[in-house]
Amino acid sequence: MNYPVWFLPETGGGFLIALISILHVFVSHFAVGGGLYLIYAEKKGLREKSQPILDFTKRHARFFLLITMVFGSISGVGIWFIIALVNPAATSLLIHNFVFGWAAEWVFFSVEIAAAFVYYYMFGRMDSKTHLQVGWLYFFAAWMSLALINGIIGVMLTPGSWAENMDFWAGFFNPGFFPSLVFRTFIAVMIAACYGYLSASFTTDSKTRVTMTRFSAKWALVSLGLSVISGFWYLSVLSDQSHGLVMGKSPTIVALLPWGGGGLLFFLLVMLGAGIIRPSLNHKPVALLAMVSALLIMGGFEWTREAARRPYVINEVMYSNSILKKDMADLNAKGYLHKALWVQNKQVSEDNLVAAGEELFLHQCYACHTVNGRNNDIVKATSSMSYGALVSYIKKIHEVRYFMPPFAGTEMEGRALAAYIAGGLHGKEIQEPPQGSSLAGPKNGATLFDENCASCHAVEDLTAALTGEDKTAVIGMLKTLNEISDAMEPFSGTEEEHEVLADFLKNTKQGGK
Amino acid sequence: MDPLFIPQPDTIPVSWGWFQFLLLLTFPLHLLAMNAMLGGLAIGIVQHVKGGELQRQLAHRIAIALPLVIAFVVNLGVAPLLFVQVLYGQFLYSSSILMGVFWILIVPILIIAYYSAYLYDFRFTQLGSAGPWVAILAFTLLVGIGFFFANNMLLMASPEQFGAYFSHKSGTLLSFGQPEFWPRFLHMLCGALAVGGLFVALLGRFRSAANPDLAHHAEHVGLQVFLVLTVGNILLGTWYFFSLPGEVRLLFMGHHFGATSAFCVALLLAAGTLFGAWKKRFWLTFYHAVGLVVVMSFMRSWVRSGYLKDFFSLDALRVVPQYSPMIFFFVTLLVGIVCLGWLLKKTSGALLLERGRE
Ligand code: HEC
Ligand code: HEC
Repeated sequence: MNYPVWFLPETGGGFLIALISILHVFVSHFAVGGGLYLIYAEKKGLREKSQPILDFTKRHARFFLLITMVFGSISGVGIWFIIALVNPAATSLLIHNFVFGWAAEWVFFSVEIAAAFVYYYMFGRMDSKTHLQVGWLYFFAAWMSLALINGIIGVMLTPGSWAENMDFWAGFFNPGFFPSLVFRTFIAVMIAACYGYLSASFTTDSKTRVTMTRFSAKWALVSLGLSVISGFWYLSVLSDQSHGLVMGKSPTIVALLPWGGGGLLFFLLVMLGAGIIRPSLNHKPVALLAMVSALLIMGGFEWTREAARRPYVINEVMYSNSILKKDMADLNAKGYLHKALWVQNKQVSEDNLVAAGEELFLHQCYACHTVNGRNNDIVKATSSMSYGALVSYIKKIHEVRYFMPPFAGTEMEGRALAAYIAGGLHGKEIQEPPQGSSLAGPKNGATLFDENCASCHAVEDLTAALTGEDKTAVIGMLKTLNEISDAMEPFSGTEEEHEVLADFLKNTKQGGK
Repeated sequence: MDPLFIPQPDTIPVSWGWFQFLLLLTFPLHLLAMNAMLGGLAIGIVQHVKGGELQRQLAHRIAIALPLVIAFVVNLGVAPLLFVQVLYGQFLYSSSILMGVFWILIVPILIIAYYSAYLYDFRFTQLGSAGPWVAILAFTLLVGIGFFFANNMLLMASPEQFGAYFSHKSGTLLSFGQPEFWPRFLHMLCGALAVGGLFVALLGRFRSAANPDLAHHAEHVGLQVFLVLTVGNILLGTWYFFSLPGEVRLLFMGHHFGATSAFCVALLLAAGTLFGAWKKRFWLTFYHAVGLVVVMSFMRSWVRSGYLKDFFSLDALRVVPQYSPMIFFFVTLLVGIVCLGWLLKKTSGALLLERGRE
């Protein structure tokens, strides 16, 4: 509301953030773990007095430099650019609050770059003791910059007392700080080992290839095991809400499960089968499979971390659509559009309902919904909902679906948003329920269904489930919908409305309407 | 009057003077590195295309240095971009969104430019006559990035334009239509190419023991380029000066003591550089030029606050004091400088040893 919304209707900003950050994180963790890997690979070469292993290490260092210096550091800047474009309010808050954390991170980034250059360009050109020290300095700087960023972005998921006092140190050492740091450290080593595995597959000397493949696979499996353990630790410090989302309440996370799980499975298979047991099986396509699997694991983690703080972008402080939690009451009372800066319709009336609704959509829903895009398309999500259903859905959007922020604004603004979705996007009729309908007389079954169930169900879909149930059983079921699925609340209507809705459902089942 | 769209700024942890200090400390370093990158590359391309043994050697030295220089440009750019967000975030975030498509394009463009630079370096000989083309690609992309930055820096200082958001919601607004854009951009670019000449001369000096001919050639070319382009840039600067909004221009003509004195110092320094380059005295030119870039970056900051005067002044930022993180940062900075010093010492030691053996 304070900042303009960059509107790419079919793409959605969230998708761009995910794209850049997953790729970046995959490389930046390599940048951390890879330092350690290089040191130990070099040590191994020195200890075994093996020139081929040292050659391998040098080649790997060059690959490392090209990937981390160019793609890694520029995509890191890229994340900074994209979050400022898509979530300017959250970015601004984190930049202002943690500016000296970022600045300190920049110092380590500088040391990291300088050490990486010296390590690569001076390979074999300085005495090996100093060269290894340079490697250690690199690893130290890279790990410190991970630790600093980890402290700052950890606040977004587990803010702890920072949410109240905005104290730098309280935020930095937030409840998730240590578990996520340990977790990320192991993940970094695992990914670095995977890159080592890839490098080994390019090695022509078959003895070195086998040695370095097995070396890499060992590193990968040990660090994978340790990151799983620390992953559970991390999970245990999440708030109940976030924990619930991770454990299945978030459709976003559930949708991802097969991908992340598949990645994990293939990764294990490759590292065990073509790493430990038969290292000679490490060929380029196999190594590529391992890389893709590791990317899926990493992507899965980042995606889950993002989704686990829904409906917030900064947990308990700022909703995903940049609205501050503390402003909510005020916005509901005075109106969102009136308070928002970058809108043209400051007031809603019958004349500008759809135009004002579009601005409300842009400011409050577009953060997670595209318009006719692939990613969480609002048009598809609302295809079965009428204007009336939307009006009532919007009123309790956060109650029925915890992962969406509550709608901020007046009743009239809620209607405007519904009018934009039903009328503007779908071209459906916008018809007000008769004046004071809830007082004037009981609602009919279709209306009740529309307002309470249509957001998730089409009538026909329930038919099968209700076959053979009598009316009392259906009423009983309405009271215990939460037992059928976590996603539902028990139906909240009056006793009378329970009966009306049950009748409606049964009649429909018998092909009544 | 049209409504203004200027977001509320967030609070800052220490008084704004610290951020201004850090901004003005780091930004000139970024500029110097950027100048070395653009100017060095341009000269490298010309030398490479011209042909001849010395020319080819010089182009190769520049190609080797280029990826390192790009890394420093980026790294030294991060810090000022951070501090400018702290001071002027409400303008910068908004203007970036207004040109969002171009702003985010910088990332892939930079990645391609950077990889081209590595290609040019690692495959300098193998590329043969394709080499200059790779370098030209990198150069064009890098200038493109500069163009986008120049657009954003002008746009962020022109909040009266922000209302154009409603016809550019997908982030397609640029500011090169404003009358001062072209002189401003060209002045910066020409300055970069000129200072790049000094960088090339410096690169040559590093090789003076191993290859005195090359060193001599590099210094000759570098100072020549610097001299010619600086004369040209005085003309561009004059054009820029007169394209500035009157109020801003007057800051440098007596209305503001600091700005006016800086301008006078800048003119003296410029004269110093011209004299040095004319007399072929490298260090004299070099120090004056570095000073000139620093003073110019200060003047640039007066220009910005002059543009924003009617909308915002840094005093308006609310401080919620917490000084310990800043102390932590300064300690870190010290540690970082020690680490960099250690790396430099070990590297130059090893290189000297190597040279001794040769
Ligand atoms: C924090 C992200 C987020 C925001 C903000 C958000 N939504 Fe959603 N929305 C979702 C997700 C996730 C789903 C579920 C997608 C799925 O089931 O796969 C969803 C689903 C829906 C559905 C389908 C019905 C349902 O309950 O599954 C509707 C309708 C909907 N959203 C409307 C809105 C409206 C209107 C707004 C703006 C007031 C909004 N959303 C804001 C994330 C969000
Ligand atoms: C926020 C979305 C949401 C709303 C609103 C909602 N449901 Fe559901 N419902 C679900 C989900 C998710 C399931 C589980 C679907 C599954 O397991 O296939 C479910 C399952 C059911 C089932 C069992 C269907 C089966 O195939 O086993 C019934 C019956 C049902 N809902 C009735 C209702 C009624 C009646 C309402 C309105 C009072 C309602 N639901 C409102 C999300 C919702």
